[in-house]
Order: sequence, then structure tokens, then C-alpha cells
Amino acid sequence: MSSLLWLIPTGLLAVLLGLMLRSSAHRAWPWFFSYVTFGISADVARFAAHNHPHPYYFIYWLTDAGYAILGALAMYEILRKVLRGLADIWWTHLIFPALVATGVGLSLWRAQLAPPRVQGLLACVVVGEIAVRFVQILVFVGLVGFIALFGFRWRQYPLGIAAGFGLYSTVALLITTKLSDIGTRFTFLWSLISVVAYSVTVLIWIGFFSVPEKEQPPLDAKVAKHYIALLERYLNVLRRTR
Amino acid sequence: MYLSIAIWLIVASSALAFIYILRRAYARARDPKPNPNDAVHYLYPVDWALLESLLDPAADFALRWSLDSCALRAERRRRMRLYRELVRRMAHNSSVLADFDDALFADSHFTHGPDSKLRQAIIKVRFYCAGVRLKLGVWLLLPDAFGLVPTPDLASLRKAVEVDGPKAYDELRVAAVEAFARLRPNELEALTRGL
Repeated sequence: MSSLLWLIPTGLLAVLLGLMLRSSAHRAWPWFFSYVTFGISADVARFAAHNHPHPYYFIYWLTDAGYAILGALAMYEILRKVLRGLADIWWTHLIFPALVATGVGLSLWRAQLAPPRVQGLLACVVVGEIAVRFVQILVFVGLVGFIALFGFRWRQYPLGIAAGFGLYSTVALLITTKLSDIGTRFTFLWSLISVVAYSVTVLIWIGFFSVPEKEQPPLDAKVAKHYIALLERYLNVLRRTR
Repeated sequence: MYLSIAIWLIVASSALAFIYILRRAYARARDPKPNPNDAVHYLYPVDWALLESLLDPAADFALRWSLDSCALRAERRRRMRLYRELVRRMAHNSSVLADFDDALFADSHFTHGPDSKLRQAIIKVRFYCAGVRLKLGVWLLLPDAFGLVPTPDLASLRKAVEVDGPKAYDELRVAAVEAFARLRPNELEALTRGL
């Protein structure tokens, strides 16, 4: 049963991968595409090794670190795309580092109050993973605020990716907080809720990526020239009337 | 305890963000899509000459020479209100363009990337407008205080939050003309006039 549960998100990720390839979204979203590809490979590797404790332990922590790094890079990709038009404003480049610093700060604070059950490098992976969850939620909330403030359409890839990560991270953050309160008795429910939340997350991504996104089709040069000239004429009239 | 409060605040804001998205999705599904051909009727024209004259440092300089401090203060506040109205129109026009751009693309079963020229121009203009409106709001709130608090110079508002407002709006107009090229010529002409 639990093995089957594992396969649901992997199958959904494979569908998402197919959709991204079909709509060529992998070119526009290389880090998110890497995350999806990595997710499938990591799930397959974990599934293949789940009867072998030593390799499984190694693969589990290695892929966990990979998820955190690629998850953070996907967030960076979203911010870079959304704020591209504001690239000449110096402080917009500080938004992502500030979010990462906030996430790391909160995660370290949490680790100080409820130390991870692992030591050394693995503890760093846990802290990093929780930091990325904070970053993902903050990016999602920030993006929704941005959309609400600037009156943008909600159905766009950046929001879809951020909403998926936001949902999973919110659930994961709640679970990790609860886990530290209740202890290991919560483990089964933890994994069940986690799998359901991740499946819903991938369904959100599938929902968004099922509609292809494309750039404005290039305007015919002749037509463009005509309309730019028209605009210029209009501006000239305005300047003369000044 | 403080950490718990911080975590719960973050989780609650995430939940609110989800509710907001669901509400938007529901509203979008329920409301009829705007007709792109109607875009021009929703735009408020921005008087470019007036905008340039309000931001002209020479005009401000001339006022300083010709008026006494009390009259200058009153005149500057009048110009600020005028500029606030122009900025309000710029912000309104950019959100109208965003709505109609969505409607235009809704017919083609494609969504529009956030990095399209028009989208980025809209972000810039709205960003500028938000910054200027905030500044003007604060400036206009300042009491007259018998001239003790100097009235700020309007020309400094050409650039706000590192964005050159008139330049950004000009870029928006060009991007709108390109994006709405599929409209009929007379409608497109009306669009450029309306902006």
C-alpha cells in the first residue's frame, strides 16, 4: 500500500514532465524542469533502494539535499522572471537573498529550539530544507500580494509553480512543527499527509502547465511601422499643443 | 513562543493567499470576459503636455520667482493634486490594458508569459504609480504649518522607486500598440488617443 502511495506523485510528475516537454516550457523554466526531472529520478532511486537500508539512507539524504537546492533555484527563477522589467532597480536584486536570509534565520532559530534528530552534515540538510520551505511560502505569499496589488491575472506559470511549492511547504512546515511536538508516533500520518499534499501540489502544476504559455506573436514589421508612426504623429501633435 | 507565532503567521498568510487565488479563480469563471474591442472606452486619456509641464523643473523655478511663499505653496499643492490625478489615470489605464490583454489571449487558448513586453511595461508603470501615489499622499498630508515645512518639488517625481515614470508610460503605449495590433485601425487609433 505504501509503495503504491509513493508511485502516485511520481506518476503525476511524469505527466507534468510530458506536458512541459510538449509545450516547450522546459526552455523557459530550466530550473523548475530540472526539479521535476530530479523528482522523478529521486523517487525511482528511493523506490529501488527501499529494501536496502544502507543505500536507501544515503540516497534519501542525498535526494533531500537535491530537492532543497533545486526548490530554491526554482524560486529564484520565478522572481527573476516576474521582476525582469524592474531589473534596472538595484534593490529588486536583493529580494531573493533577503528571502533566503530570512528563511535561513527562521530555520536556525527553529533548530536552536527543537534541534534536529541528526548530527553534522545531515543536520545542515534538515536546516537547509526547512529554510527553503520558508522561502517557498514567502515567495508564494509575496507573489499573490504582487498580483493583488498590481491587478494581474492569476493564471500564469510563476503563480502556478509558487502555489504548488507554497501548498506543499505549508503542509510540510506544519507537519515538521507537529512532529517535533508529538514525536515519532506521528510518522505514519506524516507520510500519508505528505504524499497527499505532494500529489495535490503536482496536480496544481499540471493544471497550470496544461495551458501552453507563449510570448506575444511578433508583429508584422510593416504593420508595426505603421502603428509606431501613428503613435509618433499623435505624440508630435501633443508636443506642438504644449 | 515567538517562533511559534512567526510560523503560524507565515502559515496563516499562505492560507489566506490560497483563499485569495480560489476567489479570483471563481470570479474569473463567473464574470463574462471583457471584449478587447471595448478597451478604448475604459481608458482615461493622460494629457502628456500637462504631465510634462508639471514635471518641468523650469516651470517650478519660474513659479518660485513669480509668487510669494504662501501663493507658491498653494500653487504647488494644486499641481500635486493635478499630478496625482494623472498618475491615477496612468495606473488605471495600465490595469485596463492588463485585463484586456488577458481577454485577448483568452481566445487563443494560450496564456501570456509574465515576461512579455506589455506585461513588463505594465509592472513598471504600476510600480511607479504606487510609489508616486504614496509620496504624494504623504506630501499632501503634510500640514501647511505656516510655511515651516517646505513643499517638495514636483519635478523630483519624474523618477520614483528608481523608475522614470513618463518614459515607462511611453514604453507602455508602444507595447500596447504592438500587443493590440489585431484591433481594427480606427480602434487602434482610438486606443493610442485614449492612452
